[in-house]
Amino acid sequence: MKIAALMVVAATLLPLSAKADGPVKVSDFPLADRIKEKVASGKPLDIYVSYHDVSNEFAPAIKAGVAKGAADDKVNAQFIGPVGSDANAQINEIETLMGKMDGLAISSVSSDALGPVIDRVLKAGIPVVTYNTDNPNSKRLAFAGQDLVQSGREAGKLMGTVLDGKGKVMITTIDAAAQWSLDREKGVREALKTFPGIEVVKTLNTGSDPQKIYSEIENAMLADPSVTGILSLECCSTPAAGTWVQRNKKTGAIKVVGFDLLDQTVQLVQSGDIQATIDQAPEKQGFEAVDLLVQFLNGKPIESVDTGVGIYTKDNIDKVAKK
Amino acid sequence: MVDVVRSGARAPTRGSFSLSQLLWAREAGVFLALLALCLFLTFATGGFLTSLNLLNVGRQISLLGIMAVGMTFVLIAGEVDLSVGSTYAFCGLASGMLICAGWPLFAAVGLGVVAGCVIGLINGLLSTYGRLPSLIATLGMLSMVRGAALILTNGQPVTVNVRNGASESVLNAFEFMGQGYLFGVIPMQLVFFVIVAAIAWFILSMTNFGFRIFAVGGSAKAARVSGIHVSAVKIWAFILMGALAAFAGILSLAFLPSGQAGRTGLGLELDVIAATIVGGASLSGGEGTILGTILGVLIIGVMRNGLVLMGVSPFVQEFMIGFVIVVAVGIDKWSTRRSA
Repeated sequence: MKIAALMVVAATLLPLSAKADGPVKVSDFPLADRIKEKVASGKPLDIYVSYHDVSNEFAPAIKAGVAKGAADDKVNAQFIGPVGSDANAQINEIETLMGKMDGLAISSVSSDALGPVIDRVLKAGIPVVTYNTDNPNSKRLAFAGQDLVQSGREAGKLMGTVLDGKGKVMITTIDAAAQWSLDREKGVREALKTFPGIEVVKTLNTGSDPQKIYSEIENAMLADPSVTGILSLECCSTPAAGTWVQRNKKTGAIKVVGFDLLDQTVQLVQSGDIQATIDQAPEKQGFEAVDLLVQFLNGKPIESVDTGVGIYTKDNIDKVAKK
Repeated sequence: MVDVVRSGARAPTRGSFSLSQLLWAREAGVFLALLALCLFLTFATGGFLTSLNLLNVGRQISLLGIMAVGMTFVLIAGEVDLSVGSTYAFCGLASGMLICAGWPLFAAVGLGVVAGCVIGLINGLLSTYGRLPSLIATLGMLSMVRGAALILTNGQPVTVNVRNGASESVLNAFEFMGQGYLFGVIPMQLVFFVIVAAIAWFILSMTNFGFRIFAVGGSAKAARVSGIHVSAVKIWAFILMGALAAFAGILSLAFLPSGQAGRTGLGLELDVIAATIVGGASLSGGEGTILGTILGVLIIGVMRNGLVLMGVSPFVQEFMIGFVIVVAVGIDKWSTRRSA
């Protein structure tokens, strides 16, 4: 019953706790003269939206949000970024385009590597916001995206609930050392601590190649058959965990909670092999990235936007399934 | 003629093996290392020596193995192919898209393999008539083919299922290729690996083409003087590599059955080259055997499996695998110098 109640709540995007950042205004920002003139002349602004890996699954959805933002706000918005999570390539591209950009929205490959570049762009009088992945090391003006620690907490809570408060959980991630993974893992572990009957047995680093992800899960489950829950921290080990459960006929016996709405994940939620998945509304993030900068340049105060978490289970997954 | 041009190259010998030949073969060191690793894991972990785990290992190494067989030809010919991970992704995803577009299985898989052959042909032409070092030519192709896969799929995952347009009968046959079991026990991927390895062994050990590859890799100049068309032999080695990388990519998609151009097979070329080198093939050409490559692939596969079974941290796993590659190749080179 408790699970059913939780599942009903899952129908909508749940806003997370608001960020502490206060509103910022362009009048308090040393905007570059060329941008001031452009805003005053009413010419379309050139906004650049840099994503940490334009070849990953979410890039098309974020790009669609950027295009919508550009159309709604009547600006030129370019979706840029490296193929593969290459921090150097992202830095080089931003440095090359700095003279042309009237605003930069960025999701960093690495907080440490991109932090100084963001501050350099700000110092040149160009406003910078972060989206999707925040960069707390920088002086960015605002952030549009999901609070990763909080989304981890939501995933942990879901796992605790579907396991009825007892069992052994294995956490899987395609990059255990990445900041987003560490943040989500922190939230997951915090939430699972509130269930005394649940033990986190390990964090499995699967790598990002689909074959390797599946093989790592397969080996780990054989190594520890007492695992009753697999909690994936991202898009890509979620369907692999669900597929392993389905193929090994462990549906219901081993619970899976994961992230995002890949086609395969949606189908595995429908078949009951994945109990719940958390969406991070990538299109909304792309839209907000552009919109925040345009609002800021047009003199409106802006502050961080929480794009929330969408929790999907068998009860509401049909809303997002392809017809 | 053959004996003359093979000077410097170490091809497997024709005819029967005696026990002493087997023990002193260059693969013996790799085999003993594998045996020691298996014995250690049997005692160190509870789950290693079970039929389920061994069949899992067999399946997990199969795709790497199929590609490493292709790489053996390329390395023996004195070249290297860095584009195999991208070829694996492009051809697998292309075949998957064709199946979703309603193509019959044979045509979709066939076209995927042909695409792999074309990539191999381009690699071969660039490395021979184009006079580019294969390291550079295939590095360029690594990027171009990965880009082509991203353009083809628009960065979106390709999931092969009925909902996305695949016909049920084609899907069943496709999934059987990647997920099925022969006699309900042996994974089909492993069956394909064994077939590919057997054919490759036959080509390399029993045909003129096999001897020519060793000749070209051992000394291209001597081979040319002996009337061997060096460029043609190298191009064929690249085509074979392309076809096998494509076939492995298709099997990978059949197994999962979903892939994404930005992640599928990323960095796989290094695993393939490492496994082939651990098996005794030489980056300077003229050396390598299919048996050695199989053992090399097994060492890497067993190592990965065993480290997970032992609960070793993923960061330590990466270190250990690199360490084993260095030690295995080091021992091989050291023993080769001593026996020379």
